[in-house]
Amino acid sequence: MRQPEFEAISPEELEILQLERLQSTLTRAYRRVKLYRRRFDEAGLRPEAIQTLADLARLPFTTREDLSENYPYGLFAVPLKDIVRIVSSPGTTDRPLVVGYTSQDLRLWLELLARLLVATGVTPEDIVQLILPPGLANWRRDLQAGAEYLGASVIPAATLNFVKELMVMRDYRTSVLITTPSLARHLLKVMTSLGVAPAELALKRALLVAAPLPQPMRRELEESLNLQIGRAYGITEVMGPGLAYSCDSDLGFHFSADHFYPEIIDPETGVVLPPGEEGELVITTLSTVAFPLLRFRSGDKTALNPAPCPCGRTLPRLTGILGRVDAICSVGGIKVHPDHLRALLREALGGHLPPHSWRVAEEDGLEVLEVSLALDETLFSDEVKALEGLCRRVRRHLQDHLGLASHINLKEVKEGETSLV
Amino acid sequence: MLKIRNLYAYYGPVTALSGVTCHIKEGEIVALIGANGAGKTTLLNAVCGLVRKKGEVIFRGQEVSHLPAERLVSLGISQVPEGRQLFGPMTVADNLELGAYLRYGRQARADIADDLERVFRLFPVLKERQGQVAGTMSGGEQQMLAIARALMARPRLLLLDEPSLGLAPLVVENILATISRLQDEGMTILLVEQNARAALKVAARAYVLETGRIILSGSAQDLLADRQVTRAYLGRDYKEFTEGR
Repeated sequence: MRQPEFEAISPEELEILQLERLQSTLTRAYRRVKLYRRRFDEAGLRPEAIQTLADLARLPFTTREDLSENYPYGLFAVPLKDIVRIVSSPGTTDRPLVVGYTSQDLRLWLELLARLLVATGVTPEDIVQLILPPGLANWRRDLQAGAEYLGASVIPAATLNFVKELMVMRDYRTSVLITTPSLARHLLKVMTSLGVAPAELALKRALLVAAPLPQPMRRELEESLNLQIGRAYGITEVMGPGLAYSCDSDLGFHFSADHFYPEIIDPETGVVLPPGEEGELVITTLSTVAFPLLRFRSGDKTALNPAPCPCGRTLPRLTGILGRVDAICSVGGIKVHPDHLRALLREALGGHLPPHSWRVAEEDGLEVLEVSLALDETLFSDEVKALEGLCRRVRRHLQDHLGLASHINLKEVKEGETSLV
Repeated sequence: MLKIRNLYAYYGPVTALSGVTCHIKEGEIVALIGANGAGKTTLLNAVCGLVRKKGEVIFRGQEVSHLPAERLVSLGISQVPEGRQLFGPMTVADNLELGAYLRYGRQARADIADDLERVFRLFPVLKERQGQVAGTMSGGEQQMLAIARALMARPRLLLLDEPSLGLAPLVVENILATISRLQDEGMTILLVEQNARAALKVAARAYVLETGRIILSGSAQDLLADRQVTRAYLGRDYKEFTEGR
């Protein structure tokens, strides 16, 4: 355990720590962020009104739309000169979501990453290799920085092909692999096709991030690669990875509740649900200075288990990420919002958006976005070359903006049809 | 050791603290920093039962917010007030004995004599000066006497209000070293300081008060890195630092 004084904190100590940090966060947000001040005032509340953790439920939620509307710096609680890092992630529109960090926020972030990596079993003696696509730039940077902070030897993510990655893994004696579930499966396929046996590798552990990992897939990977798998949960708006992480007991994700306050709500009514019930995860930052977030709706469906874990940690656990409550879908860990995708398609097609549909398809263990576009009058051409060019243009636009691979299918529209489903 | 929840304090119609929540664990030194008038001293006085207040104060598991000051002293909370507040015309030894006045009648004189020896070990200068009139000592020595006097009540929690006030830098160092030594002996200390840099040298954690509310808390290291804290509370030191070159 990296920080037993916090990871195995007693419930009484956790409660006062959360309450005092919550109250100071509310005070800072109220005094320094216009949106929050307006929200408090509209609700007829002052920060002092929140006297217990349960009182937090009296405050309104913050959504990704709020972040978009206050683009880029509207929700920062410190002057820009105190900000040392600005991170963006795709939002629900073409405006990214922007999060700022002060230098002490970065220190907290590194400590949380170290917690996560130690819980996965990473030590300073390990050789850590990252295989993450450019679309997961935030995870790449975060996990690389965390592993370096811990003192491990880190092989940063490169744009190598998998044969090269495998060579590096074997020859450099990589002991910890950090990747996504779908890339791990792809790796297994490449190994099989090249005839590389797991015994030729020095892999002991893998940290699989950015996407859910179904139990059967997990067992398959652990058995065929002969290693132990750790997982992490994080969202970029709230510091990214390190927010919650699995342990050897693998009974969910330990949530860093000393720095972030979790609530589970009914996504329809907004009512806070008791422990154990499934709902949407809502997060309030307790320690971050630059970018306080009050009751941020993560969009992720999960449940909270406050019971202590056999691993000794007392931080409450998210009992798995069970899906999304909103329309965002994950393509190999990269989150795509339908509105954003539609906007990108329209851009690529010169302002015209024909009937369309999409799904996440699997190809050699890799997830790709498959987009079908109706070949209507505007798009139609009798030249195959022009149609190929069209597909290429859309594919490149999605690659540029979302950092993910896609297949574009053109489909003829039948008489009277208005949409593709 | 000490848990404070939603503490309000009032001076007549003026609200000096509006909902302060904080805690101190056994053996910790925690600093309370903030500008003049932020409510630092008020918080100490509220804990000691010296101002009108509302809210929860739990000391070693016991709700004590309704208790009068003298009960709090006998439970183990002692304050070293700002400006020392010594009995100037009296000798060092008399001042020290007065620190133990709540214990007379309850405990043997021998006990108090033992404590006097302990205090003299901590502050050898006071032993040398025990016959001297307190008001004639230097500021640093008076501060030591004030701390020593508070120790005579055998506190478990020591509240120090601006111990570095008006002292020369070298003397401040000396006082800080004394505070660290008290921690080594197991004392729990809540330290109020306008001299944030000095406070963050000895404390592991700190709270930043701004107009009656805690607006920031964290490890001393984190707060020293916080540019807002640096600007607001360490500004003067920075200026002195650069002007001295």
